[in-house]
Amino acid sequence: MAASPKTSVKKDEWIPTSCGQCYCMCGVKVRKQDGVVTELAGNPDAPTGRGHICVKGLASPQLLYDPYRVNYPMKRTNPEKGLGVDPKWERISWDEALETITKKLKECQERDPRGAFFQATTTQASEIRFGVIGFMKGFGTPNYWVSGGGLHCGNGAHFMNGIMHVSWSIIPDFAHCNYALNFGCSKGHGAGHVAVQNATQVADARARGFKNVVFDPFQSAQASKAHEWVPIRVGTDGALALGLVNSLLNEHDIYDAEYLMYKTNAPYLIRPSDGRYMRDKETNNPLVWDTVDNCPKVHNDPSVTRVEYEDVAHEVALTGTYKVDGTDCRPSFELLKEHVKKYTPEYVEKITWVPAATISRIAKEFGEAAEIGSTVTIQTSKGPKKIPKRPVATHFFRGAQGHTNSGWTCLSIDMVNHIVGAADTYGSALGLGASVGSGYEKTGKPYQIPYPCPDGLLVAKTWVYDHKPYPLREPKAPTRLDLHDMFPTSIYNAFTITSPRWFEMLERFDIGYKPDVMINFGSNSVMTMGNSETVTENFLKKFNFIFSFQLYITEFEEAVADIVLPDACFLERYTPAVSFPSTFSHPQGEDDWGWTIRQPVVEPMFERRDFNQVMLDICERLGIHGKFYKGLNDSIGVRYGGEMSDKYKLVEDGSVRHSWEDITDRLLKDRFGEEHGLEHVRKKGVFTWPKKKEDIYWKWNNPSRVPIYFEYFIDSGEKIDKLWKKYDGKDFFDFDWSRFKALADWYPCPTHTEEDPEYDMNTFYWRAVMHCNSMTQQNPWLDECSQEDPNVYAIQMHVNTAKEKGIADGDKVWLENPEGHKVKGWVSLSEGIEPHHLAIAAVAGHWGKYMPIAKGKGTFFNDLVEMDLGHTDPLTFNQDICARVKIYKAED
Amino acid sequence: MDPKVNGQLQHDWSWLIAVYLFLGGVGGGAYTIAAINSFLGTGLELSTTVGLWIGFPALLIGTLFLIADLGAPSRAILAAMKPGTSWISRGTLIISVFMVLSFVHLVLHQFTDVGATAGGSTLIDIIAIAGIVFAIGTMAYTGILLSASKGIPFWRSGVVPIIFVVSATVTGHFAIMLGVVLNGAVPGTLTALQTMALEAVALVVLEVLAILFFLQAAFRQPDPRESAERILSKSMFVVGYFILGLAMPMILMIVVYFSVVSTSTNGMIAFAAIGAVLGLIGGLILRQAVLICGALPTLNIAGFKFRRIHRPKDPKPGIGLMPPT
Amino acid sequence: MPRYGMVIDLKRCYGCYACSMACKTANHTPPGVFWARVLMSEVGTYPNAVRQALPVLCMQCDEPSCMEVCPTGATQKRDDGIVIVDQDKCMGCKYCVMACPYGSRYSVDKWESYFPEGLPLSPLEEHQKKAWMEKSGVGVATKCDFCLDRLAEGKLPACVEACPAVARTFGDLDDPNSDISILIKKERGQVLNPEFGNEPKVYYLFPR
Repeated sequence: MAASPKTSVKKDEWIPTSCGQCYCMCGVKVRKQDGVVTELAGNPDAPTGRGHICVKGLASPQLLYDPYRVNYPMKRTNPEKGLGVDPKWERISWDEALETITKKLKECQERDPRGAFFQATTTQASEIRFGVIGFMKGFGTPNYWVSGGGLHCGNGAHFMNGIMHVSWSIIPDFAHCNYALNFGCSKGHGAGHVAVQNATQVADARARGFKNVVFDPFQSAQASKAHEWVPIRVGTDGALALGLVNSLLNEHDIYDAEYLMYKTNAPYLIRPSDGRYMRDKETNNPLVWDTVDNCPKVHNDPSVTRVEYEDVAHEVALTGTYKVDGTDCRPSFELLKEHVKKYTPEYVEKITWVPAATISRIAKEFGEAAEIGSTVTIQTSKGPKKIPKRPVATHFFRGAQGHTNSGWTCLSIDMVNHIVGAADTYGSALGLGASVGSGYEKTGKPYQIPYPCPDGLLVAKTWVYDHKPYPLREPKAPTRLDLHDMFPTSIYNAFTITSPRWFEMLERFDIGYKPDVMINFGSNSVMTMGNSETVTENFLKKFNFIFSFQLYITEFEEAVADIVLPDACFLERYTPAVSFPSTFSHPQGEDDWGWTIRQPVVEPMFERRDFNQVMLDICERLGIHGKFYKGLNDSIGVRYGGEMSDKYKLVEDGSVRHSWEDITDRLLKDRFGEEHGLEHVRKKGVFTWPKKKEDIYWKWNNPSRVPIYFEYFIDSGEKIDKLWKKYDGKDFFDFDWSRFKALADWYPCPTHTEEDPEYDMNTFYWRAVMHCNSMTQQNPWLDECSQEDPNVYAIQMHVNTAKEKGIADGDKVWLENPEGHKVKGWVSLSEGIEPHHLAIAAVAGHWGKYMPIAKGKGTFFNDLVEMDLGHTDPLTFNQDICARVKIYKAED
Repeated sequence: MDPKVNGQLQHDWSWLIAVYLFLGGVGGGAYTIAAINSFLGTGLELSTTVGLWIGFPALLIGTLFLIADLGAPSRAILAAMKPGTSWISRGTLIISVFMVLSFVHLVLHQFTDVGATAGGSTLIDIIAIAGIVFAIGTMAYTGILLSASKGIPFWRSGVVPIIFVVSATVTGHFAIMLGVVLNGAVPGTLTALQTMALEAVALVVLEVLAILFFLQAAFRQPDPRESAERILSKSMFVVGYFILGLAMPMILMIVVYFSVVSTSTNGMIAFAAIGAVLGLIGGLILRQAVLICGALPTLNIAGFKFRRIHRPKDPKPGIGLMPPT
Repeated sequence: MPRYGMVIDLKRCYGCYACSMACKTANHTPPGVFWARVLMSEVGTYPNAVRQALPVLCMQCDEPSCMEVCPTGATQKRDDGIVIVDQDKCMGCKYCVMACPYGSRYSVDKWESYFPEGLPLSPLEEHQKKAWMEKSGVGVATKCDFCLDRLAEGKLPACVEACPAVARTFGDLDDPNSDISILIKKERGQVLNPEFGNEPKVYYLFPR
């Protein structure tokens, strides 16, 4: 490339890799001028981004060169730990660091390897699946979590979307959807999974007249671009969704009978006595009622199933009462229809503050826009096929689901889609990331076609965790430090480990070991989980030894880390798979599949070392690297769509030392053939192959059904209850196990039941596009950009509310929750917020002395987040991230 | 108005420019008065001399302030390249000519006897007339410079040059008064001071009227209104300019005018001096206040009003602690 | 000779600041300087309030008031309509900053680091500083030039390339068949504050 006349740059190159500023992980090209990384741009070859990237990715050169980066290993010399304690850091050599760590891990191994606890950041989601998983399997510990991530956004949403769409999230088929209901999620309007590609798609959709109705307490980016903004009381999205379901079924009589009959368990006959399926005596399969033959049939009897739309089958009953083996039973659909009757528009208005007439109108608009009965012909790999066209969708994410009603809220919102048959078909709600695929044609990998369980329900082929969202795990006597094994519907549990009675619990539940060594990969859990003091005192300080891979000395390291290791950032390392598992963050739509990798743009600077490499080194010192490789081999099967072939499998006996380059090469060759190894893929940073239409619109190409009636929750709840009683768990937590039931309901959060009139404001947080988790706050370019926006560092408040309280624009205020935790910030007045709400952005309000750019900017919302049972969803153990507060002026 | 959308203020023209505009005005004003007095003759010789001694140096120093504000002062020589379109080029030419005229006038007046001859006297008169033209040009230019700035709606008013001309005359007048006072109580000073005090009152009244007219006109349009509200909220403007810089000098001048019998000579001179100094400071404050309250225009599209937001930015971070190396 | 212009579709823009950042990295602008800015506004009262983002940059006016007031001739309009500053001619009077009604001109007195004072410059900041001094400099007026360097390499301006919402279209206003001309015609593109009389060449499509 010719250097432009006004520059003295001699060597100018662009290197393709994957962004690592957030878990979206877009394909990027990185510009290196005379050896210095100066610029990033989107990689047009990568379907993740297609040449566009966001503000965070663009700003990443500052991450690489930030003078506050940790460049050398260091140890804490002050034995005292806690918030505000000076660790008295001392630089040490890598040898000393690794020796100490190995010694501590060996001691832990001797005591009980399960005492090792891995904590990681979602920002580096693709690295987690190698270094973290390999170590856990090699070392033999089940204890792991991504701090904050799952608790705030994933326990509910990812789990429920996994059940309903075998995917992490849901999104409208922007290319063909005409009318969507957005429950406070920024998809296409900010940060998050597939942020960039979604933004392009939704902008195209808007340009062709796509209508998006946004329920949100404030004028978020998505609300500002909406066809209609409907302000809603925080945490009540589930009630609104059930109101829409009721309105569709009982007011407007709109539903997709074909879809419900053949693609859901709506026709499954339910025994009135215990709410269980009526089952066939011989096969034990659930029964449906064949209205032609007028008899019960197993759900998968060919005469009553339609895999493809044009298959012919008997109609099955959705309503009515039928006698089977002497029992009067009814299809689950009828139970649902009756159950939701209490969610009248008037009742829902009281909960959500959305006018009854609006609810009724929107339900009608949605139902009509669904064009039930309409079809479209798509070109599949097996020729043209007719499939239903349902150009409507509801979608949601953290905003709607971050509450104590999380699980049922997610299912209720998605239920609106399934009532009108708008799921994983043309124009409808699709899983996000793109999670269904038959693989690259020459190898058949990654193979990710979901399949039905014996009950006919949808099972994911690949998933991000070892255990899939469905079928549920069996509740078992706990072995994990957070008692996770007992609770099959959760991913992580915070209320246990942050309880002041954690150790008592460990004894009562016969865990048999205690927290010992914590390995932290990039997380700043002091700030990202909830109240910082609760997290530090009750949880983090319980570990004997904590070592941390980190880019900066965050508040976490200051408070509790014993050794800090200088991690390489995403521009300095290999990661074998980034856009896969595609379930997590691969774009939807008709564009190609793309498997992106991460490759170093520069060698790690100073004494920084790549996390994955160091974990491998530690395992070698511990003599468990063979098991590490085995762990990866096993993990690849589940997460990346198929077992490794013998040829490329990592050697499991420890006789071979695999570099990350080698692992990347092997994985690529295994998935895409000998000729498509690292040397081929590194040139463009991505391997692409065409996506089949039937992989996008797979609903009518797959024999599975999804539940609208969650029969298996009943079983699960009963089993948990039994276990819980066995341990007298009630001494610790009085759980409401009744939420383990088959039909959806809305439950109030503490925000809705607070009675003290002093705490009159509802506060919640939103994601500013400049920030992901807490690290980006230290980036000076992103900081400057944040200050360009009037609201990113502010507490947004309604003009009239402020006037009543004598608060002016720019005033410093305290927000204090009923538990007495308080945070400070300054107010930005607006007309664009429901007057009883306060909106706060990002994980801001840093106080760490080693992150001066981040320090003191914005408001530390999470300090208001309580970690106890009262703020936890009993179904998914998702945390509540809204809080009631009182607001008063601060002095300065 | 929503307080959030306060427009961003211009911050590129600093106090150096305010001093430049001020001294340009003082120089122009003082020279004009001096030159006119030179025609009016007897009893005003002192004020003519003082005015000439103020005019040229004020301009010279003012120009130095302008150059100090330039980002690339070594290229100041290019300032007059575009007189066809640029008021800075035009101003540079006007001031240059004016500086030459005022300098020549000063030299002829003070160091030669040219004025004693008939031909010489005519020459000086011609120079004075030309000088007055360019002095007024200079005074007006300091205002036109602002009013021609499309980016600052507050300044974009035909009244601004008028205010600047009036204020320049006022400050020039006060400068001369101060010079006369400092020159000592030569015979005739007291009478002259009384006359000058009366003139000052008239000029200040004129300035008050001009300012009020300017502000009320500003209040009629949203963008200038915001700047006007801002300027009126500044104690620097209200106290420093209105009260101390206009009202006080006016009161003092009235006292001076009526006090010839009742007050001691020294007292009267002191009143005149204080009044003149306050008036001069007021003139400087006026320019500084107008400069710093200049906000960028609102951009309008599709019913939205867009302002560059003006909020106190977070201070530049402290160095904090570095990880050990 | 083309006459370059840009269309920004406010329907597509959701205020993500990618343009600001892309510009910052492509043009090495120091603290406080955003050649491509995003302004935020709100109109109406609750619950009918609505927010909108407005990306602004140099409008590359056909009647540039900055050029009119420039005393040295440093500001020039190229044949392709792009308004540039000859940094070797600019004396730094900042009159153009006052003259631009769109607030698109910037002048910095000295180059500053983004990090606290007293730290050595990182290799990135060394590069940023050098590149800024070579191309723009301190004490002189600076502005967006539609990424002239990138245009010379056959690329689009950095803000256009980055935009995740594909809200920006760049092209030749004189070519009636260019995407930009068609968009302006079809969707009735408007310039900002036409009453300024500057004849801007950046057009906007209405948000709703």
